[in-house]
Amino acid sequence: MFTPTLLAQVVVNGLSLGAIYVLVALGFTLLFGIMRVVNFAHGAFAVLGGYALYYLYGQYRLPYILAVPLSALLVAVISLLLERCVFRWFYQKMFQSMIGLLGLNMALVFGSVIIWDTYERAIPPAFNGMLQLGGVILPLDRLMVVAIAAAILALFWLFMSRSRWGLAMRAAAQDVEIAEAQGIDTLSTYRLAFFIAIFMTALAGGLYAQIYALSPFMGDRPLVVAFIAVILGGMGSIPGAALGGLILGFTESFLSTFYGATLSAFVSFGVVILLLIFRPWGLLGTPE
Amino acid sequence: MTRALLALIAAATVALACAGAATAQEELKIGAVGSLSGGGTAWGLAIQRGTQMAIDEVNAAGGLKLGDKTYKPRLVMYDDQYTSTGGKTAAERLVNSDGVKFILGPAGSPPALAVIGVTNPAKVIVLSDGYAPAILKNEAKAAYNFRALNSNVEFTPAMIAWLKQNMPEVKKIGLVCTNDAVGQAALPLLIDAYKKAGYEVWSELYDRGTKEFTPLMTRMIAQGVDLFDLNFNAPTEAGLLLKQARQAGYKGRIWQVGGPSVDEIMAVAGPLADGFLSYDVFDFDSPAAAKFVATYHKQWPGIINAQAPAWYNAAKVLFEAMRRAGTTDVDKVRDALEKLDGYDAGLFGPVRWGGMADYGVNHQLLLKFLIVEVKDGKRVTRAELQPEQR
Repeated sequence: MFTPTLLAQVVVNGLSLGAIYVLVALGFTLLFGIMRVVNFAHGAFAVLGGYALYYLYGQYRLPYILAVPLSALLVAVISLLLERCVFRWFYQKMFQSMIGLLGLNMALVFGSVIIWDTYERAIPPAFNGMLQLGGVILPLDRLMVVAIAAAILALFWLFMSRSRWGLAMRAAAQDVEIAEAQGIDTLSTYRLAFFIAIFMTALAGGLYAQIYALSPFMGDRPLVVAFIAVILGGMGSIPGAALGGLILGFTESFLSTFYGATLSAFVSFGVVILLLIFRPWGLLGTPE
Repeated sequence: MTRALLALIAAATVALACAGAATAQEELKIGAVGSLSGGGTAWGLAIQRGTQMAIDEVNAAGGLKLGDKTYKPRLVMYDDQYTSTGGKTAAERLVNSDGVKFILGPAGSPPALAVIGVTNPAKVIVLSDGYAPAILKNEAKAAYNFRALNSNVEFTPAMIAWLKQNMPEVKKIGLVCTNDAVGQAALPLLIDAYKKAGYEVWSELYDRGTKEFTPLMTRMIAQGVDLFDLNFNAPTEAGLLLKQARQAGYKGRIWQVGGPSVDEIMAVAGPLADGFLSYDVFDFDSPAAAKFVATYHKQWPGIINAQAPAWYNAAKVLFEAMRRAGTTDVDKVRDALEKLDGYDAGLFGPVRWGGMADYGVNHQLLLKFLIVEVKDGKRVTRAELQPEQR
């Protein structure tokens, strides 16, 4: 069964799965890394991203290249209202944020049920084709997700390491009081970090809904995936989220293919439990 | 003058009260349980809408006349989330809180088994769906529950015989199903049926809620499967399985001995659904369907799940049994239901009850069914089959 073609296909599947998981985990880890907020409403923002893409691309037929960023932008802009009314009260309050945002998640999910019903909808695919290299097959929609994940990671790395705003965010993440003493407007920095996190979550949600299916309850799985990836990589670490997402993708691909789906889920959660016992700060995180 | 005026008002009040009493209709709550969230939502909406259409029809005709009383049926429905817990909670609310005596749904073995666990002891009539044999073959001997749609026991033998005859090149079957009551109770029967027909079978279970099947599909392809059966998967999962099987490079036949959810699968998989074959319960292009489709679309736009006509049929069968019983007394309605063979509700031909040989009770409604194929984004009927009455 371990033929070279099959192994190559497993690697390709792992990469495409990992790319989806990286996208889903980035927004989650950013909010925690900068503001110490555990965003239990993460899945709900992914759902909103899904509906935004459903309307802009699926219904109003905007060009795909415009519809994807616009839908994420739309959700991020509207969410600024939630930043002012809800999130701002939970910055640097990890435990309070868990409960508060769990409530927000329920409000957003069941608000979505009232507006859009519980129907599972399909967002039309942008690409239906498949690329065949030797015996290995790459669906074009998955290839696109890999490309978007790589681009987002690169842009985000550039932003965080080369821009003044990125440096301000890192400073605020390390020590709020010292950052403020150096003249950094932490409130604006937080708002920007929130905006970027929701933008990335909504973008991931749109792509997730398009690849799988869209419904108000779609966000549960991205939330679980984000949790596992971020705990694996280290809470708050952007490279950690990328590493965690990829490890999760490759592990799932390998184990599900050769040993079945049940063992794959068992191992994923088992590794997280072991990591929390022996290295609670994750693979690339830093101990508190 | 004042006395005369008061007398006039009193007389008018009495007259109005009498008139009101003469035309008043007693409300009759009809319970429903189905998935209104998650992957089985299309089936839940089919129960809700099919039943509502039958209720609307009764109310438009002046209500349900039983003996000297006229009832106005009203639908009370709860979401089972396609789970046992959800089904149990929904049934308990309907029976204990709403005082419902007649329930339609749910669809799916996990909630259906949970519902009958509540309703049989409470002597509440249930017309459900779900493939687990225990829905009818149980300790209570299905005292008050009936199955309103064919289960795999009814349609599988005929479908496999058709497969054998029409696709002799198929030797190995692949089955992927949820790791719950469906996968543990209904799937083994399907595996047995394939094996008895001489097929080799590969099967695998996954956790409900999974949306990513690509690795599992790669695993299936490595097993050299000729035909992938989507069996009892919920509509969205079935669509994703088909889409991801094709994306993973699976070139063999795909069909579904279960469902049916052809339109939902086409919506999820798009052009990749071409060539897909499925069990189907209703021919929407038949002359009998035209009125149903038009009435449905007056209230709801979009896709009509193929189970909706079957639930409309089940509700009409239940109302006819009540009419023949002339009462809402549960035992009398149950007896009337059992003797309803030959009654034609309009969409599926005369009622045929069966199931004695398989479940020890004739509480299985036998519906004619179809094998359809997706061609260029449209369903085309390949065969019309009848379950064996035994």
